[in-house]
Amino acid sequence: MDASDIQERVVKILTPYVKDQEALASVSAGTNILEDLKVNSARLVDVVLAFEDEFDIEIADEDVDAVNSVGDCVELIGKKLG
Amino acid sequence: MAPTLSAAGRRALRLQRAVSLLLAPLWIPAFTALMWGALRWRIADAAPLRRAYARLRAESRAPLLICANHLTMLDSFVIGWALGGIGFYLRDFAALPWNTPERVHFADTWWKRALVYLLKCVPISRGSARGEVALVFEKLRFLMLRGDVALVFPEGGRSRSSRVEEANAAYGVGRLVNSLPGCRVLCVYLRGAGQHTWTDWPARGERFRATAQCIEPQSEARGLRASLDVSRQIVRRLAEMERAHFADHGAPPQPAPAAEAASASGAAAAPARAASAGVAAGGGDDR
Repeated sequence: MDASDIQERVVKILTPYVKDQEALASVSAGTNILEDLKVNSARLVDVVLAFEDEFDIEIADEDVDAVNSVGDCVELIGKKLG
Repeated sequence: MAPTLSAAGRRALRLQRAVSLLLAPLWIPAFTALMWGALRWRIADAAPLRRAYARLRAESRAPLLICANHLTMLDSFVIGWALGGIGFYLRDFAALPWNTPERVHFADTWWKRALVYLLKCVPISRGSARGEVALVFEKLRFLMLRGDVALVFPEGGRSRSSRVEEANAAYGVGRLVNSLPGCRVLCVYLRGAGQHTWTDWPARGERFRATAQCIEPQSEARGLRASLDVSRQIVRRLAEMERAHFADHGAPPQPAPAAEAASASGAAAAPARAASAGVAAGGGDDR
């Protein structure tokens, strides 16, 4: 699975949590999940749990601390998928 | 939990604690006088709650985290007062809980920063990047491992519905608990008689009732799910305590909003073990 496939699925998972739907139109690897997409920080863990289910991976507590942008998600998932 | 707290960060916390302890004979009585005298706040039947808290402190030095419902910005100070008096905290300064006030409210001017420094606070910016939030929790972890008590609000902020909201369980609280082997959680439900909804300050002359139950939440899940599971067990216990409070003293007139279903994470919930200190406050013996 390449990075663009992962990003597409990441954005799909993020979509229901995004408060600024207009920002989704121009989403890129550098898009900040909390600041640009206005995802509630308390819901970020639900997003990461959805990544676990979608990609059948396990994400550690510490990994969540480094998740700020869409690109961070793609990189993290890519690493977990090996 | 990631070892992100630097040596300088640890030194800064030790210094803050030392300064706070040094000045404790001044500021603890001053704040108590402010709450009791100027604001005329009262805690209904504080004595059994204080005895239970003192017993908890005496029976074990295992990490202790206080988790409470949250309706006003001053809750942490009132809870500290409800759990112990001036003499108790001067004898056992570690029992006076550290808390995490919202930076935008309590650390936006130099004098507020000085005040929160003195009052055992670690300001937090709610809604900020996970790394920043994790660093605050790492500071609490460091302090708790040294024997200090910390207080957090597991809903992550003041309840906009004026009820404990189980769907708002903040995952970081469970992560903190799971990172501290043997960690006990003292759930405290506090509500003023006139506190019908969330506010900045409690009303002058407010009369508070508080109950506390100590649990040791555990989860059979792993990783993030375990953290979230533990957080939800804590908030669920607070919700149960709220229902008991309303049954005993009546629910405030504001209707509860539709409960937002907690998203199922597939966590395998192990029942929280009730440990001790189930204390219900009644009337009389105001502090």
